[in-house]
Amino acid sequence: MAMGVSRKDKIFFLSLIPPSITLLGILVVTVITILSNSLESLSLYGLSLIASSIWDPENLKYGLLAPILGSITTSTLAILTALVFSIPLTILIAEYSSGFVKNVLSSIVELMGGIPTIVYAIWASTYFASLLKQYVMDPLHAYFSIIPLFSCKPITGFSIFTAGVSIGVSIVPYVTSMILEAYQNIPQALREACLGIGCTKYESVKVLMSLAKPAVLASLILGFARSLGETTIAVATVGNSMYLSSCIFSPGITVSALIASQFANAYLYKYAESVLYASALFILFIAIVLSFVGLSMLIKWRVKVVV
Amino acid sequence: MYDQRKIKDKLFFVFVLSVSIIAVTLMLHMIFVTLSNGIPVILRAGLGFFTSIPPTPLSKNIGGIAPALAGSFIMTLTSLPVSISLAFFSAVLTTEFPRNPLSIIIDVVAKSLASIPTIVVSMVIYLIVVVPMGKFSALAGVLALTIISLPYSYTYISTYLRSIPATYREAAYSIAMGRWRTIISVFVPIIRRGLLITVLMTSARILGETAAILFVTGRYRLGVSVSLLDPTDAVPLLIFDYMLTPYKNFQEISWAAASLLLLSYLIIFTTTKFLVKEVKL
Repeated sequence: MAMGVSRKDKIFFLSLIPPSITLLGILVVTVITILSNSLESLSLYGLSLIASSIWDPENLKYGLLAPILGSITTSTLAILTALVFSIPLTILIAEYSSGFVKNVLSSIVELMGGIPTIVYAIWASTYFASLLKQYVMDPLHAYFSIIPLFSCKPITGFSIFTAGVSIGVSIVPYVTSMILEAYQNIPQALREACLGIGCTKYESVKVLMSLAKPAVLASLILGFARSLGETTIAVATVGNSMYLSSCIFSPGITVSALIASQFANAYLYKYAESVLYASALFILFIAIVLSFVGLSMLIKWRVKVVV
Repeated sequence: MYDQRKIKDKLFFVFVLSVSIIAVTLMLHMIFVTLSNGIPVILRAGLGFFTSIPPTPLSKNIGGIAPALAGSFIMTLTSLPVSISLAFFSAVLTTEFPRNPLSIIIDVVAKSLASIPTIVVSMVIYLIVVVPMGKFSALAGVLALTIISLPYSYTYISTYLRSIPATYREAAYSIAMGRWRTIISVFVPIIRRGLLITVLMTSARILGETAAILFVTGRYRLGVSVSLLDPTDAVPLLIFDYMLTPYKNFQEISWAAASLLLLSYLIIFTTTKFLVKEVKL
């Protein structure tokens, strides 16, 4: 009987292998395809591919510095934006609301997390960009134009800054849900201990947030990885210019926006496709590494604090 | 001293509340303007919005988005069962044999798949499906959509499977049920609402995806295509193409399509909320 069961177990296990291996296959094929197709341009252009900024397919000149810096800057702005909104939202949901209000607030966050990014994109390009220009970019430029980041006058509202903040708004629900989960997983005893020695709510939140810090950091790393790959919002708000500037109010480009706008015609030019695959390799590599770092930080934190 | 702490506490609450209000206002503003820009256009276009092809740039009539609707519908319905079943088997593997090396690998793989930028998926499918076939196709779109939705449905299903208490498994084994029998006739019924939520949320994810199908479906807008092997269109692609054009009627169509997409998502989301509530009762 024991033998029979174990043989059945084996068949059960074996029957699950083919579908599961498909997942592994997809990942391997993706990485190999991107890698092998970028080799041509990587070996031809080498480091100059990431050290210069030029997109001139007719003369076979390519440099990806602007999109790479653009991706890094927009993603950084995105997680800063997400941080500014996510922490207060988390505290409001976890500490200051209960029952119906709490339910509504967390449902809104959950709802927004699933809205297709194309809806964020059309909203950001039509409304949010001009709102940002009027109430954030123009004032910042007026008062702080001495800082290089804010030194150029915002012209259309489409800029690196707009793209970063718009992507940031779109990842607020994602980051909030991760921070909220971590925050609520902190053992109740710690909060009670703090309240027991007469902490105000602000003081107890401060203590709990400092405990949740590694989880917050991990959520931001995961948010950064997600922002890097964001395409539709970037195309709609970044301004699509290969011009490299130290000012975040000028139009720029990101890797995914470059791919979205150039890939369809890339087959017409020699090496253009391969250069675009190389740029994809860049965001693919960073996104995979960062999500591993972020996820393992979350797991480590949970073992340390929660259990 | 005591007062200062109390003031700080109050100020902190005001800060938390006002930033949260800004965040929630932005989110609700987005929903509001999408619906208020789009729905009047749909009403003006009437049934034709669902049955006609898009207009030419400067024409007076609004036309419709029939090719995109048909494409989205066909691609979602084809990709959904593939995604769900692959995710289901993989989730069963990783929850039934959590310590097996293969399970650990598959779990990590599923998480890495989620981190692949969706536009990268589009480039890969372009090379391994579109180029060999020699043309764009709905099939290529289906494959891309399956890849981006797989990690999503996997996470849902494995979370639900893991939430089943061990006692159910023990009860099933004690009456000599096999492992597959246990899963089919004990586990699946227990998580049936969870599975329904998975199906709904995965289809919402597939319906709304833009970047993954950017280079593979071909954006065929001259008529409705029902063949998987021919080029087709999708609602998010149409919004993406039309919102950035200078033509007023294209922008209107784009808002209308966006509001339709948003409405279908809102319906799906509300349904899942309803299902969750039922589970608690």
